[in-house]
Formats: sequence, C-alpha cells, structure tokens
Amino acid sequence: MNELRDFLVGRIWLRSHLPFPKEVVDAAIEQGRVEVVKGITDRGECCRCLETSQDKIVSFYCSKCSKVCRYCRNCIQMGRVSSCSELVLWSDSPPPPQSIHSFAWKGELTVSQQTASSAIIRSLSLRQSHLVYAVCGAGKTELLFPVIFDELQRGHRICIAAPRVDVILELAPRIQSAFPETLLHVLYGDSPQETGFATIVLATTHQLFRFQSAFDVLIVDEADAFPYSMDLSLERAVGKSIKGDSPIVYVTATPSRKLLRKTPNRSEIFQRFHGHPLPVPQFASLWNYEKALLKNRLPEKLKAWTKSKLEKKEPFLIFLPTIELISLAIPLFKELHPGIEAVHASDDNRKEKIMALRNKEVPGVLTSTILERGITIQNVQVAVVGADHPVFTASALIQIAGRVGRASEFPDGDVIYFHNGKTLQMDQARREIKGYNRQGGE
Amino acid sequence: MKCYLCDGEMQSAHSWRELFFNDIQEVACVKCKEGFLGMGGPGCRICGLPGDKLCIDCVRWEETSYRGVIGSGTSLFTYNEAMKTYLHQYKFLQDVLLSEVFAKEISASLKKEQAVLIPIPMNPEKLKERTFPHVERLLDAAGLEYVQLLEKNADIQSKKTKEERLNSKPLFTHNGQRIPARVMLVDDLYTTGTTMRHAAKILKEGGARDIRIFTLIRG
Repeated sequence: MNELRDFLVGRIWLRSHLPFPKEVVDAAIEQGRVEVVKGITDRGECCRCLETSQDKIVSFYCSKCSKVCRYCRNCIQMGRVSSCSELVLWSDSPPPPQSIHSFAWKGELTVSQQTASSAIIRSLSLRQSHLVYAVCGAGKTELLFPVIFDELQRGHRICIAAPRVDVILELAPRIQSAFPETLLHVLYGDSPQETGFATIVLATTHQLFRFQSAFDVLIVDEADAFPYSMDLSLERAVGKSIKGDSPIVYVTATPSRKLLRKTPNRSEIFQRFHGHPLPVPQFASLWNYEKALLKNRLPEKLKAWTKSKLEKKEPFLIFLPTIELISLAIPLFKELHPGIEAVHASDDNRKEKIMALRNKEVPGVLTSTILERGITIQNVQVAVVGADHPVFTASALIQIAGRVGRASEFPDGDVIYFHNGKTLQMDQARREIKGYNRQGGE
Repeated sequence: MKCYLCDGEMQSAHSWRELFFNDIQEVACVKCKEGFLGMGGPGCRICGLPGDKLCIDCVRWEETSYRGVIGSGTSLFTYNEAMKTYLHQYKFLQDVLLSEVFAKEISASLKKEQAVLIPIPMNPEKLKERTFPHVERLLDAAGLEYVQLLEKNADIQSKKTKEERLNSKPLFTHNGQRIPARVMLVDDLYTTGTTMRHAAKILKEGGARDIRIFTLIRG
C-alpha cells in the first residue's frame, strides 16, 4: 500500500494504467485512501489535462458502454481518457518528507549569479513567483542549486520542468550529483518506471498533466520555449501541478512580454559566467539556397564555411528550417566529409549523435530547431541556413547563438545567419544580443 | 480546421465540391498525407505485394486447403513508419476520429463496388476493450454500406508465431445470415493472410462464389 501511496501522491492517473495489482488498488479505494473521478466531466472537461475545446473533446459511440461517450484527443498519447474511464488520485496523507538532504556541489557562483540566487530564495520565502532573465551561458542551472537546497531543507517537494526531453536529460545528472542523497525522478515520454516518493521531480512540461496539487515549488526552465509559450494547455498543466498558489520560478533567456508583465520579482543576468560578451551573429546572404539544394548543389558560401570548420577541426552545428531540407542537404555535406551527421525531432539516435559531436567523433551535425537550446558543446561553431524562415523567430535565433562560446577556454566562435533576405526577427535577435552585451559590460 | 494527425493549421478548410457534392472532407494535411506510401505498380493478384506474379506466401496458401478461397484482392498503402504511427494511434490509443483519415481513398476505391462489403469483425470481449469496431468505422467514415456475416471466435491472434497462425483453428463462425454470391472482405491490415483465408473459407462453404479482399494496408 505504501508503494501505491508513494506512486500516487500528487498524481492523477488512469485507473486502468496503474502499475499495481487490482486487489491493492481496489482495497485502497474501499478504504477511502484513493479517490476515483470520471475521466471527462459532464461539462466536457478532461480531468487530466483540463482540455475543454470541442475540437479536442470528441464524441463517439462506445461499444463498452453501448452509448455515446466522449474522449480527449489533447492528452491521448498518455493513454486515452474518456468519459467512461476512471482517473485516480491519492486522497489520504502523504508520506513523511525525506529529512536528510546533502548539497555536494563544490563550484562557486559569480557575484551576479549569487545575487540572483539570493533574490529567488527571498521571493520563495514569501511564496512569490520569480523570473530569472539570463542570457544563454549565464550559468542558470548553477544559480538554482542553492535555491533547490533551501527548498529541500524546508521539506518542500520540487519540480523542475522543461519543454524538451533533451534539456531534461542534460539536467538530470547535474541535479542528482548536486543532491546525491535526494530521491529524484526523471519523467518524459517513454521514461523507465521510477519507484518511491521523489522529493525532486524532473519532467517534461507534458508530464505535468499527470500531476495535481503536487509541488510546493515549480521551476520552469526555458520558460519561453516551444511548445510551452504557444500551448495554453501546458500553461494549465503548470497551474494544476502545483499546490494551491505555490510559487513558480521561470528561467529563460528570452522571456515573452506576458511573462515579464506577470512576474514583477525578477533577476537579470546579461553577462556570461566567464565574463566574455556573447558572440554577435553575422549575416550572410545565401540567395535561393533552397533551389540550389533541390538541384543537389551546395551553395558556395556555405561550402566554404563548412570546409574552413573541417580544416580547423572545430565542431559545428548547421541549423536548417525543415526536415525536408535536412534530408536534401545531408548527402551533399557527406561529400565534404562522410562523418557529418543529421538529427531531427523524431530521430531515435539523437542522443548518441550529439554525444559523438561532443567527443569529436563526428565533425559536425545538421539539425532542425530541436537543438536550439539546452545543449553545450565546447568550441562549437554555428550556422543557420535559411535564417529568414518563419521557424527562426528572434527567440530561436538568440538561443541558437547562445550555443556558441559557452566555455571559458573558448569564449568566442562563429554565429552566422545565412539568409535569402533579412527579416525583422533576425534584426531583433542581433539587436537584443548587442543589448545584453552592453548591459553586461556595465 | 486543424489536421487530425499533426494538429497544424490546414489551408482551405472546405472546398466547393465538399459543400455542393457532399464530398468527403479531407481531415489530414498534405504534408502528413505525403508520409503514407501507396502500393503503386503491379502486385500479387491476391494480396497486392509488389511483384508481377503471385507472391511466395500466396503460392504457399494455394497449396493448402485454402486453395482458391480468395479470387483477388486490393491493398491501398504500404506499412511504413507513418502508417505504423497512424495505426498505433487509431487502434491502440483508440483515437476513433482517425477513422476519417483515409475516408476519401477508401471511398474512391469501393464506392462503385458491386460486391457486398463484409468487414472482418472483432470478438465481443476485444470490442469492449477497444470500445469501437475499427474496420466498420473506416467504412462508416467512407460512407459505405456493409453487412456483418461473421463472428470472431475468442482468440488473440497477434501473439502467435507464423506457424501457429497457419495451423490455427477456425477464427470465425458464420452468423447465419444469407451469404450473397459476390462478397468483398474488408480489413485494416493484411500481414500473413490468415485472417482473410479463414473468413473467406467460411463464406465459400456457405455459398459465396466470388470472394475478393480489400485492405487499407499491406504489411
């Protein structure tokens, strides 16, 4: 029964999907320790993801019930919730909080990191939300360590959520080694089953659908990132996962105006932890690059840039706007060097390829915007091909530029936007980066 | 409207034809649809597997007691990654709405069909579990009439090896309704051909003379 409790506290789960024997679940319901709710309310709201739109809550003739039922298409990937399925919640007391936590991080914060870190602790002690507006490479994760430790000592349950699984997978080992005695769960699409009651939960934003009134504090990393900023249902998920009006720490390099407006408590860091300015993007025209690729020709400027990186043995990332263009371009790049690889969102070997780039086993990687954030590769050089394409918003372009010069040994590097006509988004990205450097230099 | 598959915005939600001729509405965007690969080219007379003569599997079937039970057949799509993802979401995640994704193609292929359409049924237990009959819903979405003549016996086929499938006991029982002379059996996926052979044999023994098969996908 304790195992069921540890699993279910703070969660909302499909009864039919629980990883426990039926007798255990039935007994807990009998004793009133587990509450059962209908999957879709009579008003047509999904109890797991709070979706209500008629596009997503659809009716069908149900052969199980022999009547018309409704189901939710919004969160269907986590197992279908319908009006005839049951969701369960833990309604009895939670387990006692884990009392012993240690803080094993031995690094040192810069003055600006320290200031931000203390400001967040102050906001959280008042149970208020806080925004950390910090450039890429400012050392955002490190400045959160003292915050997390302070919360742990208060007996709080903490969630760190990020939109992309890549970011979660990079954060997990760093958080675990900073807090070696704390039970941590890492949750994403097909993550392996975890056991026990975790005081720190690291999860993709989507996984928050499966939590309800769970956390005393929620840290949303890369708070601006797609899909979070565009997806109302994920915003609802964030609100539902926290206890009452527990505080939220938003961490981002590119906050939206809405986020700036709603979080008055704010820390800004416009300087990288190593003190060097952010590399400023260069613009280079690459007229009709799409046509050239369609004709199996690599544009000269792009070829020259790639060759120079190969000669200097500098690792590089080349961003392309669509998967179609990536598949057109990869054979052409392989002619320059057969080791060059390509990755995209549905690539199962993404993790391995990035690792190979980091270990210099692969000279360079072509990628979609999937790698725009969260990844760190020493001395990486970056080109965006088709920077004028609508997928490259100012915030995406800033993030991409932020991949470069992160290590103190290599604080500089190429950021080049190849374009077929300059866009406002490109100008805005460059203007903001210059602005950070100006403010950071003060 | 939004694409049922990728949730992206779709251009021109309704065409004039849809409004005036009551055409079936396209519910998936061009890009998603491009991911599905039609069978194309010549194929096996019975199962549609690419090639210019009867495929090895069907030749083997023709050497058994199932010889001649199926006259000929058609399959619309190959079982590629996009199709696997589709079928997973439709059948296993039970996204009933996805029955409409291939309605146009199924309708174009079958609306002038003279034979009576017979969907492959599920057994009642399985139907309750899935909550909808997936083959019938494909035909409903395409606006086609069909008749249910068979009942599926309790058996979970997908867990068997190929050998076990070839030698398995009857999968279906005739439900007693009159069997027309010309029928077309309809299923979502053709893999080993066991399902179709079993169904066809029952209908043949019950008096059907011309039996053809139609599947959305050739695995």
